[in-house]
Amino acid sequence: MLIKDCMKRNVISIPAEDTVAEAARVFVKHHVGVLPVVNAGRKPVGILRLQDLLTLELPDFVSLVADLDFVHDFGAVETTRPAPELLARPVTSLMQPIVTVGEDSGLLRAYSLMLKDDLHDIPVTDPEGVLVGIASRVDVAAAVLSSWQERKGKTP
Amino acid sequence: MINGIVAAVIFILCLAIIFAEKIHRTTIAITGAILMVAAGSLMGFYSEPEAIAAVDFNTLGLLLGMMILVAMLEPTGLFQLIAVWAGRISKGRPVRLLILLGLVTTVLSMFLDNVTTVVLLAPVTILICEILGIHPIPFLVAEALLANTGGVATLIGDPPNILIASAAGFTFNDFLVNSLPLILVVWLVALGMLRILFRRELAVMPPNAEAVSRLNPSEALDDPKTARRILIVLAAAVGLFFFEDLLGVSPAFIALSAASAAMIWVQPPMKKMLERIEWNVLLFFTALFVLVGGLDAAGVLGGAANLLTYFQGVPPVVFGIMAIWVIALLSALVDNIPITIALIPVIQQLGENGVDIAPLWWALAFGAGLGGNGTIVGSTANIIVASLSERTRTPITSKLWNKRGLPVMLGTCAVISILYALWFPLFSR
Repeated sequence: MLIKDCMKRNVISIPAEDTVAEAARVFVKHHVGVLPVVNAGRKPVGILRLQDLLTLELPDFVSLVADLDFVHDFGAVETTRPAPELLARPVTSLMQPIVTVGEDSGLLRAYSLMLKDDLHDIPVTDPEGVLVGIASRVDVAAAVLSSWQERKGKTP
Repeated sequence: MINGIVAAVIFILCLAIIFAEKIHRTTIAITGAILMVAAGSLMGFYSEPEAIAAVDFNTLGLLLGMMILVAMLEPTGLFQLIAVWAGRISKGRPVRLLILLGLVTTVLSMFLDNVTTVVLLAPVTILICEILGIHPIPFLVAEALLANTGGVATLIGDPPNILIASAAGFTFNDFLVNSLPLILVVWLVALGMLRILFRRELAVMPPNAEAVSRLNPSEALDDPKTARRILIVLAAAVGLFFFEDLLGVSPAFIALSAASAAMIWVQPPMKKMLERIEWNVLLFFTALFVLVGGLDAAGVLGGAANLLTYFQGVPPVVFGIMAIWVIALLSALVDNIPITIALIPVIQQLGENGVDIAPLWWALAFGAGLGGNGTIVGSTANIIVASLSERTRTPITSKLWNKRGLPVMLGTCAVISILYALWFPLFSR
């Protein structure tokens, strides 16, 4: 089985010109964890993860204090919102470098890439580099595990 | 004469490059030390055995001993506990929080290294301010300034004091008698000035004051057993410092004994513990000793002292106050450690020329300790606080420091000058 056999073909993405606020709306509407950022030719140029948006609201001390179990109430920071000018910035200012696989990639190769780069979802491209799908760890792992029941593959 | 010029050029070049902050100060000091020994060997004014003899192992031993104790105390979360406790007692009132955190910082910095104190307290300070919904900058600036101030009070509070005590033969108790009372007054002045300088920020009542009451101090302390053991050893060491004279042992011996006792009792993971020791500081000191040793061997420091002897006509009190200000201004611009190491032989030479130098040692301690408050790069504690704040949404800028730190430095130097004049008869024992 190849990655193209288990990926989701209906991939939610966002144009590079959109703002952070628009990206937040897409995240909320589609309930996804990552949004590939694509150019006019639907080729991926970066990726926006939920955590990239949430860091805008996360208090500074989270990265400075190692252990937070003694903080039972985040108090004022629970109700702070990012400044409007931050939300008006383009998504390209927050996006991260994207890791993709070709649609003909094998499942174990795709899963290994996700492990190494700590990705929960991996965008899939066709030979021209156009975004055609996205697969989650669950999609890939379930496809791998389903082959165990068939028992037709060769055992190493 | 030519020896002196070469040695002075090497030293001043090193200070200038340290000041530029493009290359790590330890790298510069080691390179400078090598150049000094090379020049000295070629021109015959300084040799390798002399360079090794110039290293003050008493200072290094005391620093290492205290660093080991702190390295073991750090991961226990004790500092976190203390800051959280201060936050709770303050009930979220900004002025009360400033006083409590200031007090905690000062007391800790009297016994531990200022940088460690600030590194461990600042993140929790940012946490407390964020959950309260108030500006962290006044508290962070106050912590750096008050750590520097508190450090002047005791022999083990600040590296310049360790150096001065080692060179002048001052005991722990000498600092308690000659420095602590003066610094107490200066501390109150500094706190009062901070209260006024930050009055606008401190007037904002936190929107969420009850959040601090839900911080749990006991959960903030990760390893109570180790913390208790090290505190006992630390208390015993401070107790021994009082009787340093009576026992006839050096502060380095006491600190290293305490460190080894703590290591036996706690048995820390050695590799991890050693990683928390600031080896670069110890190397920096060693290299500076070698560097300044060459300066001394070339006759530069003696020459400077002889020049200063012409000020014999000036009343000693005025000379001491002038020394405080000159040293303070230098320490605001450059690291106070090279300044102190370079001035020690000058003061010693003045002593040989017949000047009463006991008051000058204290002028050096006060000037080097308080001068660092003047600029954002004046002391390592300032640099640490500023770089931590750069990881937040409200970074401390050099401009802000000049508006808030510099007035405190000038104010505390003015007050210490007055106190110095009043205390003067007691300095010259």
